[in-house]
Parts: sequence; C-alpha cells; structure tokens
Amino acid sequence: MAEEVPNTIDRRKFLTVLGVTGGGAAMLSGCSTDRIQKLVPYLVQSEDQVPGLPTIYASTCTECAAGCGLHVRTREGRAIKLEGNPDHPVNKGKLCSLGQSALQSLYHPSRLKGPMARNPAGALAPVTWDVAIATLAEKAAQATGKVAVVSGSPRGTFSTLLSDWAAALGGRVVRYQPFDHEAVRAANLQVFGMDQLPTHDFSAARHIVSFGADFLESWLAPVENQRGFAEARDPSSGEAAKFVAFAPRLSLTAMNADEWHITRPGGEAAVALAMANVILGERSGAPADANGLRGVLAKYTVEMASQASGIGPEEIRRAAREFASASPSLAVAGGIGSQHRGAIELCAAVNLLNYIAGNVGKTVNFGADPDHGDGYGAMLQLVQAMEQGQVAVLLVHEANPGFSLPQSVGFLDHLKKVPFKVSTSLYLDETSSACDLIIPNHHALERWDDSRPRAGIHGMLQPVMEPVFRPGPDHAGTMATGDVLLKVSQKAGGPLARFTAPTFEDYLKASFATAHGGGDPAWRAALQKGGVFDPAPTAAPRLAAGAGQAGFTPPEFDGTGDFFFATFASVYHDGRGANRPWLLELPDPVTKITWHSWVEIHPETARAMNVKEGEILRLTSPAGSIEAPAYVHAGIHPNTVAVPLGLGHTEYGEWGSGRGVNPLNLLSARDGQGFLPYLGTKVAVAKTGNWIKVAKTEGNPRQLGRGIANAMPIGAVKQGLTLEQFERGEGHGEPEINPPREVEALKGFRDSQQQQTKHGEYAREHPQWGMTIDLARCTGCSACVVACYSENNIPWVGEDEVRRGREMSWMRIERYWEGGDNGQPLEGRVIPMLCQHCGNAPCETVCPVYAAYHTADGLNGQVYNRCVGTRYCSNNCPYKVRYFNWFAYGKKAFPQPLNFQLNPDVVVRARGVMEKCTFCIQRIRGAQNQARLQDRTLVDGEFTSACAQACPSDAIIFGNRADPGSRVSQSAEDKRGYHVLEELNTRPAITYLAKVLHRSEA
Amino acid sequence: MAAVAQPHLPTQTHAEVTRDVVGTLGAPSKGYLLLLAGAITFFLIGVTTFVIELRVGLGIAGYNPPVMWLVYITNFVFWVGIGHAGTLISAILYLFRSPWRTVVYRATEAMTVFAVMTAGLFPIVHIGRQWFFYWLLPYPNQRFLWPNFKSPLIWDVFAIGTYLTVSTTFLVVGLVPDIAAVRDKVGGWRSKVYSMFAIGWKGTDNQWRHYSRAYLYLAALATPLVLSVHSVVSWDFAMSIVPGWHGTIFAPYFVAGAIYSGIGMVFTLLIPLRKALKLEHMITEYHFEQLAKLTLLTGSILFYAYAMEYFVAWYSGNTFEQTTFFRRAFGPQWWAGWSMIICNAFVSQLLWFRKIRRNVTALFIISIFINIGMWFERYVIIASSLSNDFLPYAWGQANPTWADWGILIGSFGWFGMWFLMFARTFPIVAIQEVKELIPYPRRKGGH
Amino acid sequence: MAKTVPGVLATFRHVDAAVDAIRSLRRQGSKDLTVYTAAPNHEIELALGHKVSPVRLFTLLGGITGCTAGLAMTFWMSLDWPLLVGGKPIATVPPYVVIMFELTVLCGSLMTVTGIVVLSALLRKKGAAYDPRYTDDRIGIFVPCRPEEFGTVESMLMKAGAEEVRHDAD
Repeated sequence: MAEEVPNTIDRRKFLTVLGVTGGGAAMLSGCSTDRIQKLVPYLVQSEDQVPGLPTIYASTCTECAAGCGLHVRTREGRAIKLEGNPDHPVNKGKLCSLGQSALQSLYHPSRLKGPMARNPAGALAPVTWDVAIATLAEKAAQATGKVAVVSGSPRGTFSTLLSDWAAALGGRVVRYQPFDHEAVRAANLQVFGMDQLPTHDFSAARHIVSFGADFLESWLAPVENQRGFAEARDPSSGEAAKFVAFAPRLSLTAMNADEWHITRPGGEAAVALAMANVILGERSGAPADANGLRGVLAKYTVEMASQASGIGPEEIRRAAREFASASPSLAVAGGIGSQHRGAIELCAAVNLLNYIAGNVGKTVNFGADPDHGDGYGAMLQLVQAMEQGQVAVLLVHEANPGFSLPQSVGFLDHLKKVPFKVSTSLYLDETSSACDLIIPNHHALERWDDSRPRAGIHGMLQPVMEPVFRPGPDHAGTMATGDVLLKVSQKAGGPLARFTAPTFEDYLKASFATAHGGGDPAWRAALQKGGVFDPAPTAAPRLAAGAGQAGFTPPEFDGTGDFFFATFASVYHDGRGANRPWLLELPDPVTKITWHSWVEIHPETARAMNVKEGEILRLTSPAGSIEAPAYVHAGIHPNTVAVPLGLGHTEYGEWGSGRGVNPLNLLSARDGQGFLPYLGTKVAVAKTGNWIKVAKTEGNPRQLGRGIANAMPIGAVKQGLTLEQFERGEGHGEPEINPPREVEALKGFRDSQQQQTKHGEYAREHPQWGMTIDLARCTGCSACVVACYSENNIPWVGEDEVRRGREMSWMRIERYWEGGDNGQPLEGRVIPMLCQHCGNAPCETVCPVYAAYHTADGLNGQVYNRCVGTRYCSNNCPYKVRYFNWFAYGKKAFPQPLNFQLNPDVVVRARGVMEKCTFCIQRIRGAQNQARLQDRTLVDGEFTSACAQACPSDAIIFGNRADPGSRVSQSAEDKRGYHVLEELNTRPAITYLAKVLHRSEA
Repeated sequence: MAAVAQPHLPTQTHAEVTRDVVGTLGAPSKGYLLLLAGAITFFLIGVTTFVIELRVGLGIAGYNPPVMWLVYITNFVFWVGIGHAGTLISAILYLFRSPWRTVVYRATEAMTVFAVMTAGLFPIVHIGRQWFFYWLLPYPNQRFLWPNFKSPLIWDVFAIGTYLTVSTTFLVVGLVPDIAAVRDKVGGWRSKVYSMFAIGWKGTDNQWRHYSRAYLYLAALATPLVLSVHSVVSWDFAMSIVPGWHGTIFAPYFVAGAIYSGIGMVFTLLIPLRKALKLEHMITEYHFEQLAKLTLLTGSILFYAYAMEYFVAWYSGNTFEQTTFFRRAFGPQWWAGWSMIICNAFVSQLLWFRKIRRNVTALFIISIFINIGMWFERYVIIASSLSNDFLPYAWGQANPTWADWGILIGSFGWFGMWFLMFARTFPIVAIQEVKELIPYPRRKGGH
Repeated sequence: MAKTVPGVLATFRHVDAAVDAIRSLRRQGSKDLTVYTAAPNHEIELALGHKVSPVRLFTLLGGITGCTAGLAMTFWMSLDWPLLVGGKPIATVPPYVVIMFELTVLCGSLMTVTGIVVLSALLRKKGAAYDPRYTDDRIGIFVPCRPEEFGTVESMLMKAGAEEVRHDAD
C-alpha cells in the first residue's frame, strides 16, 4: 500500500513506516513489501518507543458489554497483541478469544478507508470529510424531531454525548445490544423490584446450577464468570463446587457440567420452581419473607416438573437437595440458551431459588448494575417508527441491526423508508451498505473513549497507535465519531451549538474531570491503569410483591415443526467476529467445526431420519428456511436442532460475506415480552440429499481407553489418592495399556537410560522450562488458541485446507466424548494439546539435519532455517503437534494491512518447513535479556507464555521446573499430575492435572 | 557331446551366442520407438507435476496430517525394492554358483541400476524444500553444520548412494568384455563408439585373471549390501515409534518383499523383452521356472510376515498396535490392506504348481499382481499406519491427488526410458558369462 | 596400439589344442605369452599356471579405509558441534554402524574396480598382436619372439593344432 508511505515526515509516521516495513520484512519473500521502496530508519529517537521493545497501553475491550480491561502490546507504533489488564476488576488480566481477535478487525483489509455517500446514480462513492460533515449537519438540522440513533457503544462518555446530541435534535437513542438479558432484568424487577442486572460471584459458590445460561460464552461477563467458575472448581483445597446444567443443548458451559440434564426447551422454569419447593419444604434457614412463597410453590412438585422438562423426579429432588446443602450456592438462568417465551418466568423462578437458598447478596449481587441496552422491544418500536415514517435521519453506530435482528423484523426493508441513513460502521455490512452516508469510525484502539460496564468501574480507551487509515492520496481516512459529532455540531449550530468542545478528547477529559476531579495527574493515572476502579455499590434486595406472581406456564413456540430450534453464540458472538480469520478457523469448542455453519442433531433422530454427518439439512419455520450440513452428536435434546449464530452475512467484507447461514432468519418477528426469543421457534427438518465434508479439526472423538484426558472423582481427591493409585484401583485407563509391573520396569529403564545421556548435565546447568495444565480448571474456551495465533504469527489456512487436516494451530483443544451411549451420561473432556517439549523427544532423533534438537534449557528447538521438510519428525511425534507449511500459507494469511499485526519477534515460516509450539521462546529470551541487563536472575512469574497469559481460568502455568520453588514445580507435584502417553518414555515437560468429577453417588 | 538334459546350460555355440546377442542391437523397430516415446511422455508428465510442485508447494499432493508421508515415499520404497532382485540374481546367485542366472542377470542388473536411479529421485521430490536436499549430505559448509547420523534418513542417504554406485559398477564391469565382443562384431562408426566403452578390453589371460577375481569380490561385497539396503530402508519406519512401523520383523520382512517385488518386475520386463529381441531360445521357460521358485519362496516369507504382524499386534496387548492393525484390515482403507494381502500372500501361492511356474503367460499376469500388491504393501504400511496413531483426536485419512499419480507415472516413464535405451545399446544377455558355460570345441571328444 | 612388439600370433578353434600349445611353449621356456579367450577358461589358466590375482589386496585396503572413514566421520562430525537429540548420547556406535558398513562396501568395491584397471590395463603387456575373432569363438596365443625365431615357433604352434599362424613382420 503505497499510500501508507508518508508524504510529509513526522515522528509517528516514521513509526508507521517502520511498522509497515517491519511487518513486511517478517513476511519473508515479497508478500507485502513489494511497493515499499526503501526502509526509513529512526532519525530522531522517539521518547516513548524503544525499537525492539514493546510499549504497552492500557485500554478497554468493546467487543461485548462486559467491558474487560486491555493491555495493548505495541511494537514500533503498531498494536500487535491484545492482553488482559491485570488491574482491571472484571477480567483481571485475562481475555477471551473474541476480545483478542479485535486486532483483526483493526487491521481488516475490508475496513472502509474513508467516508462514502450515495452519488446521483445511487451508488456509494468516496467523499471528503468536509462534504460528509456538511451533509450530515444539513440533514440533521432539517430533521429536528425526527432523528433517531441506534448505538451499540458501551455505557460511557460517548454514549452520553450521543444521547445529548440526539436529544438536542429532538431525537432519541436506542442503545442496542444483541444479547441484552432483558428477561433477567424483567425478572429482577418482578421478584426484587430492581430493574437491573446482577453481578455473580462464581468463585464463592460451592454449588452451581445453570438453567440454560451459557455463562462461559455469551452470558453477561464470560471472562469474569469463567475465572470465578475455575476458582470455584479448583480441587486443590479438597473441596470443589459441583456444577449441574439444565439445558436442551450441550453448550460449552453445559459441557463443563458434572451433570447435564437434557431438558425439554421451556421446561426449565418448572424444574427451578420444583427445586425451590423442595428446598423450602425440606430445609429451614430460608429468609423469613420466603415462607410467604410456600403457597405459590406448593403446586410445583418434582413430578409436575418432570412432566414439563422430561427429567426424572428423583434427579430433580436430588439436585435440589445438593443445591441447598452446599451454601452459598448459585443458580443462573437466561441468555440465549434459554430465551424462549417463558424466559422471564424462568429467571423469576431462579431468582426465588437463589433467594430461598440464601444466595442473594452472597453469590448474586445487586447494585453494580452491569451495562445493558434498551432491549429488543425498543428496537421493535424504532422499526415501527421507521415504518410509519417518523424517522427522517437514522444514525447507526457500532451496531448491525440489519444482521442481528431477525429478517422477519424487516429492519432493512423499513430502513428504505428512512430518507437519510447514516452509519459509522468500519465495514460495509448489511446495515451500512443500505445507508446513504457512511462516516467510518476509528477502531476502538485508535480513538479516545471510556466505558462504564458497571457501577464503580470506569475503564478508559486511548489511541494506542496512528489510525491504520489516515487521510491519503486516494482516500480520506477514518475519523472518531465523537469528533464527527462535534464538528457537525459546530457546522450546524442551532440546537447543536452547545457542543463546543473542539475535539472529543477534550470532551472526554472534561467529563472525566467532573466525574473524578484530580486534574491532569488523575487523568494520566487513569490512562496508565486503564481506568478508575472503585468498589461496586451493593444493594440488599428483598422480595417484591411481584415475587408472588412467579409461576410456570408451558411457553408457546412459533411454528409447527417437529423440532425445537436452538441457536447459540459460537466463537463469533453475535456475528461481529464472522469476518476475522482467527475466529473463523478457531474450532467451535464443542463440535470442533470451523469456517461454516452446521446443524446439531441427536444420533437417535439422525438414525430415524437416516441422516449422516455432512448431509445438508433444510430447516423451515414460518419465518423462513436455512440449509446447513448436519453434525450428529449426543449433545442435544432429541427433539431439538441447533445452528450456531454469527455466520450467514450477506455483506461483511472479505471472509465474512456469504459464509454459512444466519439462524435468525428462522425466528419470527413477534415481540417475546421485550426480548428476542432465540429458543422460541419450532422448525421442520428435511433432507436435501446434498452432502459436504464437514470442516472439523477432530479425527476420532473417543479416547479408546488410552488415558489421554484423565479424570478422577472428587472422592478420590479427598482421599488423597494419586491418579495412578486411583486408576489401579479402578483397573481401567492407563494400566490397561501398561500394567503396573511394566510401569515400574519402564521407570527403572528410563532412569538408567537417563544416566547415560547428556541430558542430566544439561538439566543441572540451566533452567528447565515446563508447564502444567489443570484440566479441572480448563473449560475448553480456546482463548489460548487465539492468543497463540496472535503471538506466534500462525497463519490460518482456510476451509478447504482444514478439511485436509492442515490447520496450523500450534495449540489445539482436543475434545473427547465419554459415555453418551447406552444410558451412560455424555461427558465432554477437553485437553489442550501442544508441543510437550519432551526430554526424550522422538522427533529430534529422526531429523536428518538437526533442525529439531534439544536446547540446554529443556526446550524442543525447531530451527526453521535448517528444516528441509522431510516431515519425519511429525510422523514420529506421538502428540502430533508439529505443523507443516504445505503451501506458502504466510503469504495468503496476512494481506495488507493484516500483516501489521505480525509479531516482529517471530518469523513467518516459509513454505516447506515444519513448525510447532516454541513455549514462546521469544518471551523467554526477552525476559532473560531484560534480567541480564538489570544484572539479576529471572523471577518466577515475571513472564509467561501467551496461552498461559490469556487463559481466563488460569489453567495453564508456565515456568522453570529446575526451580523447586516455582509455581509450575509446585503444581506439577499435584497428586492429579500425569503425562500424556507416559508409557512412551518421552518425558514431557508438560504435566497435566486430571479433571475432577463430581458425580453423585446416587 | 553327451545329450544329457542340462537345461541350465545353453545349447548354442560361442559364435551363435555372439551373433544372437549382437543381433539384438540392430536398428530399432517401430514398436520399440513407440514404446520409447511412450516412456518419455510419461516421464514428461512427471517432470511437469514436479515443476508445479516446486512452484506452488507440496500441498498439491494428497497429504492429510497426520499422514505426512504418502505416495512419494511409497514409490521410493517400491523402486528400491525392485532393485533388489537384480543384485540378488547377479551377486548372490553368482556366489551360489547357480548357472541359470547367467542369461537373465544382465537384464536384471540393468533393472536394478535404473530402479535405484528412480528411487533416488523420490527423497528429493518428497521433501518440503527440494532446493536444499543437499543438506542431507555431510559436506563441509561455512555453518559448520553436519547431518544427524542418528537419523535413519541419513542412513538411507548412505545406503542408497552406496547401492547405486556399487550396482552401477557391477553392471559396467560385467559389460566391458561384452562391449569388446560387440566392438569386434559390428563395423564402422559403431565399432569406434563401442571400442571407447570397451576401454581396450581384449580378453587376454591376464585381464581375465584379475577380472574374474575382482568379479568374485564385487559379488561378495554386493551380497551383504543388498541385504543391508532394504533393511536400512525398513528402519526408516521401524526406528520410529509409530504403531504399525515399530517392529523388529521389518528388516527381513522388507528384504523378502523387495526381492519378491523385484522378481515380479523381472517377469514383467523379460517376458515381453525376450519376445521382442527374439531370445526365447536363450531365456527359456526353465529360467522363468527358477525365478518363479524364488518368487514362491519370498512370497511365502511375506505371507509369514503379514501373519506375524497381526499376531504380534494381538499378542502384545498393546492397544495402539491393535487399533492400527484392526483399522488396517477393517478401517477406511481396508481395500488397500486386502489388496496387499491378496496380491502378495495369496497369489504367490499359485506358484506351487509346476504348470503355472512354466507358463509364461500366467507368470506375466501374476507378475502384474505382484507389482500392484507390493506397491500397495508400501502404501498400506505408510498411509494406514500414519492415519491412526496415538492421539485419536489427531487421526486423519489421506487421499492421493493427481499430483501423486503424476509423479508415479513419471517414475515409470523415467525407468522405462532408461531401460529401453539400455536394451538397444548394450547386450541384454551377458555374452561372456554365457560363453563361460559353453565349453570350447575339442579335437578329440570331451574328457 | 602404440608400438607393436615382434612375435607370432596363433589362432585356435579347439581348446585342447591351445592348451597343448601353451604347455609346449612354456616347456620351451618362452615367457609372457598372451592368450586371448572370449571367456575365462580354467584349462588355459591351469596351463598358464598363473598365481592368484592380487586384486583382493585392493578390496581389503578399500574395505578397511571405508570402515575407519565411517567411524571417524560420524564421531568427529557429531562431536564437532555436539547437539543433543532425543536424550541420546552425542556420539555412539550403534547408529553409526550403518554408516561404517555402507562406507566399507562402497570403498571396498570401488577399490576393487581400481584394482582391475590398475592390474589389467595399466600393467598389461603392450603391443601384443590381436584379432577380433578372439572375443567371438576363437582362442588366440601371441608369442613374443625375435623375427629369426618366427619359423620355429610357428611350426611348433601348427604342430600343436593352430588353425592359422601369422607374424607381423614389423
């Protein structure tokens, strides 16, 4: 991109060029450097940039409403990695896959490079900012009283400006969040008289029950939930919370449950009420005012609930008793996993359950009121207004209702009725491409802003780099919408005249000053820390009158098909992630499918309909029909089919457009009491006879008794058994392959062999890098995978290459099914699989050119330059964690400007070489160099691998095994510790800690 | 001469032998040229495929991790194996003093050289960065990097290199006296050319004295070599920990298989060749029967080896081995597994019948089965073992693509091209060795 | 042929005749006969009473050289830049045996060939007369002698049963 080369020279542009060329240089042979004529060196050393060392800026994630804190790692003026802000109370230094993938939306090649307006021919054509601003000012002034705004931006100063701005024009703002938890709020209003969302302290819970709430994926603050969940589940204390899920579909959340009760959609509320009834009947100690509910609950017997949900009465009773016996416990409900027309009743019932069990105020806290939008109802009203021509100017900001509202709502149709539509979208998406003026916003990493995800948390956003698209010869560049609004105001004058701040930065500073005072130091401190974090206010709710109205009526479903239709947020959230290759190639945590949509269908149903995996099924509802390949597995209610949300964009730029299907096309427009009933439809399923190969990364879903992802019951943990002792006792699992006798013999042989090798000497002189992965904490969320991609410049390979098993994911989450057939409960086990950095690595011996060799500090080195590509190492790797560059993937995967994201510390591997996990050797060496410069030894935990850093449940610990005091050495001593395929005597540097099961003895 | 039936002894006189063999070197027939053209076309197909692979990447072949080796390595082992029959016949049978080898040995030795030449190409075609193949050689370089002699692949480099050199030497040494004979028979420019190759051979007592001695030692060296080469090739697999590869039986199993496949190829080449070159009276049913017996022997060894593999997999109680072999027979690629067992283990058993052993047509058909079966044996060992090893999640099935077939076709073209050109240029039957069996006439009867 | 030596060239059809001729010639004490045959022939070898060819010394030398070269190369190259792979010793005999063996065979056979060339080409008696039929079906004997002896030698060869006898009167 020649336009990236500056005409006039200033410091930041130097950085830009350095970034470009640096990125280009990493691309090896001529991918992106072709048009860069020469490298421009630093002439004047910039004050805040040390070439070769990262500069980290604190910011806030705007990918979902949770508002996690970010640390943006920049190199030479380019953001190269997103990490969690350890100081931030919500995510405490962790970050999910969606949040990390924001980089690919920042550098996406399909981003709009400047404002566009409809020309007389009716086509969108580039215009200058002056024109754009003038047009908007003119239209806005004319349309006073008939201005409407749809905004997806978080609660914060910009939203305030926006609503004031709209108000000044006599218009209104609809704050729109796709997953808005309206039902949860409505239920809280009904039961506690509080129209707000609660915060949940999973870590304090000693027993967790979820009624279709996918709290690890899309429900409120997933990263925070997951961290708390992992802490609650950590068995190191001997105690760990049991997790029971009532849901029609095995979501990632339900896959982490100890007991997943396959619930008929709509029946959840009955179960919750019955549990509350049992507890109230059997236990004392419920809050006094709860006794008033006895009458209300009396008719909800376990038998009745069993009728409604299809779950055995005894199981419900047992669930209730376990829930009550462990206090505090936590029950959660709502979210798209249970959002049928009975969702409010469900959430209300769960509120009662929590209240009766005395969890409110302990694990369910009110007062912080997490950020939320105005809800689906408000959107429907807006659409109605548009339909009736009451909207003359519509501004759509950080939202894509054209995609995230069901087609049947007709947003795009009624949009046509709006005379002047403006979008601030970064891309040509379904909505913006239907607008008359597009004023592309800066990406969240390029602009000033703040975010108040909940009371007490004020997160700051700051530009971490020059905008990717600045004004250039053939385009006008992007501009922060805040600045646009202010410029428009100054131009239009009139009611807008009162917005006098020259830039949004000033506006933000002013509002910050009024909020916190403290002047410039406070401002700087906030920026450095990532925000101002105060303890959240708390409120102690009591039952409101509405609590009495709690009850259960079987919800009605739209459509007459035989199958309930469920949709769920896979890795693309509401669809905003659907044009980011990292997410597209990231296997769905449950099905391990990439790049395309699928229909989940139960094996029995499939057998009855004679459907095989990959067969294209047509789902038809009154609202429409979609076609997608079948994925047959037991993780779904036999009468339910499920399709992931987020794909099926008609307009979303490269990689996004025309990929997969949009399940929302099946949902009817009818207002489900103010929320979108994602689970509220019944569909007919028909075979089309067509067939495709499902692009999944999984070979065989069963462990075949090979003891790969091991687990032991909490009972055994309490007895202090080691995994080996437990398995011998049980007489299945690993010993089946290696009877204890052989294990002993092997140990003897191993040690005697080690004596002869130089390995021992190596070990004494140097650190030995090692890792432990706690399967009791790991949920399979795959945040580590994306972290690995972004840290190590791993190229994505695309749908067809994935079909041929050629994905390059150094870190993969293997998911194995246990049971699920002949009456056995289905259990999903996940195990992150990456290079084990074996002490006796089979891959090293067979490499003819020493490209694979063992480093002094215990790493399994891979010298890309030396590799000739015999691929013998991969054949001989029992863990199959070596990945080969069949083509020049690196050239295809990072088109300009996506290559700006490349980590300059890591080379992009050439065609024909083998690559694999390096334990982030660039981080190891970087830290060692720092320590050497400061003339000190490395401190345990001063750095860690990218995967460990990202892991929201802190399941991965990386460090020096040679230091007995290090966290990794400590945790490796855990009784649950084992090595995968230990019998091969590869001596892995990675110790896995067995998963812990909380099966009921009943 | 006493008319005792001595089928292994030629019936012609010295003069006839020279005449007949030199006769094969006449102007090429149309059919021959057609064949040659075909071979060259095949070769060009292979070249084209390889060029595309060089430009685009190895991905055009049907690799599907974890199956990181597929058709290329299959071809490599296949062609190396072909070579072994030649050396067996020319060297080992020479030491065993079995005279029937003499008429066929030249053809088989030539086959060996060209087969190994073909095989030698595959490691280069197969690796990811073909332009760096020389890094596998221990050459002095400014990086002071040497190859890893613990890697079976480096053993391979040495084994194949040695094998190619030694078998070529063996062929050339054997050729010199024959070329001299041709030199003295044909006239004009050809005589000049041949005399260049004959490097002044006259067949003096002194030359013969050293020659026959040296020949003996060459044979003595080639004998352990031929056994070692395919053992080393088998260790490419056996030295790894892949279930289905990691077996002590591999070396003998591979050697037997190699000879078996080699003789198969000998049938496939010689049966048409002797017809084309009108050598039926020299290369007779008797010789084919002897070869057929060898086939039967090695085929039965294979039978045993297959049986043992499955037995050990079951008996070891090692789930990895068991799964591998179960899926080899009943997995997604069962057809490959069974065609290997049928073509090799079962078809070879037909040779218990003397009628079939002496029926040239039958032998030809059987030889085709052998070629196919032995190619599949290597394919099965490689593809099906790799497709399901330790971690089930990482399993995957590979399917060869046009690129794989293109290279395979090319290898046949390359081999055929050389062999055809050789058969027209040099005596395809060893003149002097045949003559060695024919006593010079005597004035007064035999004694 | 560079310069020819004077001598008598006899051509035989029958092997026993040739053998007789050789015997009587040797009895007469004529040295360095050259006998041409199309293939090695034991009777003639016996009659000539040659010692065993020294070519085996070449083979032995080559073999030993190859083996030591293999040992030296593998060990030196491993230790020159010691890299640890698979927890195995840096330099160790078992895997290197293969290399040593292959080099033994390689050098052994190459030296053997050198042996033939050296012994039978470089050290051969120059200038003996020759006839193309000898590579076909005739046996030739060349007796180097002074022109005045031609007569006696020729008559003796004829007596022994030569088909034809000729001498190149330089």
